[in-house]
Amino acid sequence: MNSSLLLSVTTFAYFGSTALYLSGVVFRLKSVLTIGSLVALATLIIHTVGIGLRWKESYDLGYGHAPLSNLYESLVFAAWAIMLLYLIMEYRTRQRTLGVFPALFAFLAMAYASFSTSVDAKIQPLLPALKSNWLIAHVITCFLGYAAFAVACGISIVYLIKKTNEAGDKPGAMMAMMPEARQLEELNYQLILFGFLWLSLGIITGSVWANSAWGTYWSWDPKETWSLITWLVYAAVLHARTMQGWRGKRAAWLSLVGFGCVLFTYFGVNFLLSGLHSYATQ
Amino acid sequence: MEQQAGIWQKINKTLGSLKLTLFVFLTLAVFSIIGTLLPQGMTEQDLHERFGPGLGHWIESVGFHDVYRTGWFRFLLLLLCVNLVVCSLQRLPKTLKLIRHEEGDINPDKLLKLSTHVELTTRLPWEETRSRLTRVLSDGFASPKVSLSSDTYTAYAIRGKWSPLMVYVVHSSVLIVLAGALFGSIFGFKGFMQISEGASSDEVILSSGHQQITLPFKVRCDDFDVSFYDTGAPKEFRSDLTVLTNDQPVHRQTIRVNDPMSYEGITFYQSSYGNTLKLAELELSDKAAGISQKMTLRFREAGSIPGTQDRVQLVQYQPDFSRFGPAIGVVLQKHGQQESSGSWILVNMPDFHGNRIENYHVKVLRTEVSQYTGIQVKKDPGVWLVYAGFTAMLIGIGLAYYTSQRKIWVWAAPKGSAQRVVIAGRANKNSLAFEAEFTQLCERFMNDLK
Repeated sequence: MNSSLLLSVTTFAYFGSTALYLSGVVFRLKSVLTIGSLVALATLIIHTVGIGLRWKESYDLGYGHAPLSNLYESLVFAAWAIMLLYLIMEYRTRQRTLGVFPALFAFLAMAYASFSTSVDAKIQPLLPALKSNWLIAHVITCFLGYAAFAVACGISIVYLIKKTNEAGDKPGAMMAMMPEARQLEELNYQLILFGFLWLSLGIITGSVWANSAWGTYWSWDPKETWSLITWLVYAAVLHARTMQGWRGKRAAWLSLVGFGCVLFTYFGVNFLLSGLHSYATQ
Repeated sequence: MEQQAGIWQKINKTLGSLKLTLFVFLTLAVFSIIGTLLPQGMTEQDLHERFGPGLGHWIESVGFHDVYRTGWFRFLLLLLCVNLVVCSLQRLPKTLKLIRHEEGDINPDKLLKLSTHVELTTRLPWEETRSRLTRVLSDGFASPKVSLSSDTYTAYAIRGKWSPLMVYVVHSSVLIVLAGALFGSIFGFKGFMQISEGASSDEVILSSGHQQITLPFKVRCDDFDVSFYDTGAPKEFRSDLTVLTNDQPVHRQTIRVNDPMSYEGITFYQSSYGNTLKLAELELSDKAAGISQKMTLRFREAGSIPGTQDRVQLVQYQPDFSRFGPAIGVVLQKHGQQESSGSWILVNMPDFHGNRIENYHVKVLRTEVSQYTGIQVKKDPGVWLVYAGFTAMLIGIGLAYYTSQRKIWVWAAPKGSAQRVVIAGRANKNSLAFEAEFTQLCERFMNDLK
């Protein structure tokens, strides 16, 4: 048994979980949703073991570093963080209906990591720039933030569908199972605030790390700048909430824009712009 | 006069408004996007080559080739600070009032107007009702302030009293970070040093502009080393440095990437490396005059060609000159001439026809190359202020996320043979979670008052 086997099982299992959540919502079957949750939970456990095993394998190869050092490993971790956050939220709110998007995002991240030819799944030695304890703190905090924003994005999409549905002539029965719009809005806000906290921590750990490695805590590198842009957009979302006329649909759209910035910070910068974070493309 | 006051009020209101906040956030984001899409720090020539004279000139005049240093960007940051300060000053008194305020006059009409409220009656005796109300409130929520007047009981409890202040902590943290950055950019510097193995230097080339500063001490590079993984990827860059004052060693340290050296508030970071010339042996021949002389010169030192009064100096070195291999920039100062002349001499192509300066054909017989280490040098006295701001920001956002201010009021009075009880609550945010908490608390009240 090795980590790549476990992680490919994970990829397919997240697809299964997405399909179960979706059919549960479409056919309004609570039991199917429950199975979807159980599959998601079991997959998360396999996923965790897979990441742990990869960590051990890197020691066996003599490199010995946490599995957070390149695009493949970060995608695997992103999927893990999304599902962890979502399942905690599911447990706390007892709402299984919101699982479609998080499970889908986790599946897409895993599938991209596994099947794309531009993503190298090999365990590689650590570059000198990454040899620091800050690496773990920086990557984990950033990705917890991204994961919260991913789940929030899913909720915003559901919210927008629900709102559009309610405005129509015959409200779709599919949405009846979903939580009330007000609860979606509140959950969205909570997740964005949570993500904002972790994104701030991620930017700050990156900044302190850069200062200890290169002597400057801010150098307007494209990755840094895009994380700041993301931070600014979510700061705008948080502030917009307290303003008349900016709640509800507008805030949901702004949250989608925010997640677009997250995706660009993560992928766009790696492939389209060059800078200090070039190792993240390998 | 009155009209003037009106204008001031309007300006004050605009500067502190949330609309301005959103505007500044989103414009800062747009400017930053421009900065990442357009390569920064391009020269006027680069701009004209890439975008043509018209667009290139326009980009330069707007400053998009150096967005983060333009007046625009600084103005937006200043606007953000002003907005923060004005808005905080406008709202702080209200928030403080909200924290201190204890709702002196609690009456059922007021409580029933709140969105979260419950009304119930109990047949328990009046005294028992009162003590149970107080007990449930302090067990299930927070210890209340109770007041009793002729036949009415009121209680008030609060949790997360200071939570509304966290926003101000976050806002001031932004100001602290920006102040630290400003302080550092005024009183600090950032630059680069290039030291060959065995050599020492005290000159730092500043990254802004082409100025130089001299350090109060010298730094010597005793050894530089790169190691590689089996895959060929670099594993480690390492420089052994010695600090010299008055040519006496006072401090020794090895620096690596991620492991810098600090000395007297100045920090040295391993940044790059490369090869540079140490010395070269040349053969200079002038066939017409029948001269052919060999000489050995150290890099950058000048020497006379034996038997003549012409002087030569090795001024530049390139490890790979236009893919022709290493080349040395040699300058010749002929005796009696005002101007010197020079040329690139290719080391590995001794017969290349361009290997000549004036009447001399120059051949490089031997070179000794040494490695140099590239060191980033920085002094930033503002960094502690920035870090303090970071800490405050994290504490502020963290507490803003995990806490909220919740208030609960209880009013009770006998009504006929029973007692009438009104319970109401209000939270400053996260109202759904508060509603759940309130419902749970009310269930406890109902169970205890049965």
